[in-house]
Amino acid sequence: MVNEMNDTVGAATHEPSAYERARRDLPGLAAKTEALPDTAVAPTASEADNANPVILNVENLNVYYGDFHAVKDVSLPFRQNEITALIGPSGCGKSTVLRTFNRMNDLIESARIEGKVEYHGVDLYGKNVDPVEVRRHVGMVFQKPNPFPKSIYDNISFGPKIGGFKGNMDDLVEETLHKAALWEEVKDKLNESAYALSGGQQQRLCIARAIATSPDVLLMDEPASALDPIATLRIEELMYELKRDYSIIIVTHNMQQAARVSDRTAFFSVEVGERGQRTGRLVEFNETSKIFTTPMEQETEDYITGRFG
Amino acid sequence: MTTLHPEPAHEQKGEIELRHHFDDELDELRRGLVEMLSLVAENTRRSGEVVVENRLDLVDAVIDADDPIDKICRNLEHRTFEILALQQPVASDLRFLVAMTRALYEAERSGDLAVNIAKRTAAQNGFPQHPQIQGLLARLVDESAKVFESAVEAVATLDPEIGMGAEEADDIVDTITERFFGNIHAHSQEIGLECAVELSHVGRFLERIADHGVNIAQNITYVMTGSFPDTEPSSPSS
Repeated sequence: MVNEMNDTVGAATHEPSAYERARRDLPGLAAKTEALPDTAVAPTASEADNANPVILNVENLNVYYGDFHAVKDVSLPFRQNEITALIGPSGCGKSTVLRTFNRMNDLIESARIEGKVEYHGVDLYGKNVDPVEVRRHVGMVFQKPNPFPKSIYDNISFGPKIGGFKGNMDDLVEETLHKAALWEEVKDKLNESAYALSGGQQQRLCIARAIATSPDVLLMDEPASALDPIATLRIEELMYELKRDYSIIIVTHNMQQAARVSDRTAFFSVEVGERGQRTGRLVEFNETSKIFTTPMEQETEDYITGRFG
Repeated sequence: MTTLHPEPAHEQKGEIELRHHFDDELDELRRGLVEMLSLVAENTRRSGEVVVENRLDLVDAVIDADDPIDKICRNLEHRTFEILALQQPVASDLRFLVAMTRALYEAERSGDLAVNIAKRTAAQNGFPQHPQIQGLLARLVDESAKVFESAVEAVATLDPEIGMGAEEADDIVDTITERFFGNIHAHSQEIGLECAVELSHVGRFLERIADHGVNIAQNITYVMTGSFPDTEPSSPSS
């Protein structure tokens, strides 16, 4: 059938096609729509009114590692009970930005930030803020499942125990494992080593461990990139469940994952300076459905359609 | 327009362009659609000749010309479906493929309408030659075909402006259609009731072909700008 079409429309040429030329000349919808005042693309006032409250607000965030300017002028609001995805090519600073939200960058000697990261209106980098306290409210899940070399039970109870949890630990462990959609699979082997679990189960255990201390923001850095497709879908399904109780920020290389799970998407890109230094910056932030159907910036379009990047 | 993006960032960085093969596939689809739309436009003109000049000798040609149109349509539908399934298109690629499926439907319908025009003329063994009615019919054929041809151009050039002006071009067609109906009504006794009814159908078919053309051109505007042109409610007659 395909060959037959070639006969009717002529074989593909190496000249840029009209389609390629047109999409190359397309200056991004932001510029396009400026010329078309009648076609509303910006979110309407009513959409903005219905939005969930902002739980974490980033303003003019700049991150440096020594002299190296890693991330430039990022301003982003993160909303309650939503999943926000940070996407972009390697080196665009998305993980760096994510790590500022629970002060993980403090662990890197040369790292410093400028600008504001406000959690419920409180500056996370304020003088009297204890980073450990921050991490209790803002939990994190990493790319590689990293359970403690302990039993499944202890992995969950560890955080609450040092946090001074006084309630019934058995109940907390069970409830937490239920929330992480792991209970049915592990209820008969709570005292076995976490290492006996599959990769996908280990990652859900890490999610359970992160929510055991009752945070309200969950940071996820590539939480499914080490997992097979089915385990990945389980994590995504779980995220969807978890957003009822938590606000989730996920960094992912998998654009289709961002499209599937997130409510809003921030696209980051890399800017190459005169001396070849690479600085990450935010290009576009919008509802995920807008980003993947009608992105405003040509750079976003090129990246998500896989043309450049 | 170019101030926001004076030069695409990727060119500054000297990065390589990806997905050549995918671009070729999309462009083949687009060219297939142009091919199909051109055939429909041609057949619209041909069916116009049949009905305006009573060219009964062309009826079979109009009917036969619809087969390759349907064949291309099915082929393009199949390939659009495959690309949707295999490439997970987003943004302008997704808009293009969605517009493709819409345009295929519109084009296929238009092709059938051209066939209907020829068949109705054949069933009447040609329409009585009434100067005013024939004159308006000839104009209606011409204006409808023009609207459809501009849709072909919109797909061929991916020019969003054509879709933005399409509604205006269609207003001309609607006006002529109304006058055509008025004339049929006024002269229904001379040409006979059955013939009047059949001619009204032909008028409606031509007006519809123009409507399909408008939709196709507007879909190209959607592909290129991300939104449809503002459409005013169409006239009560449609």
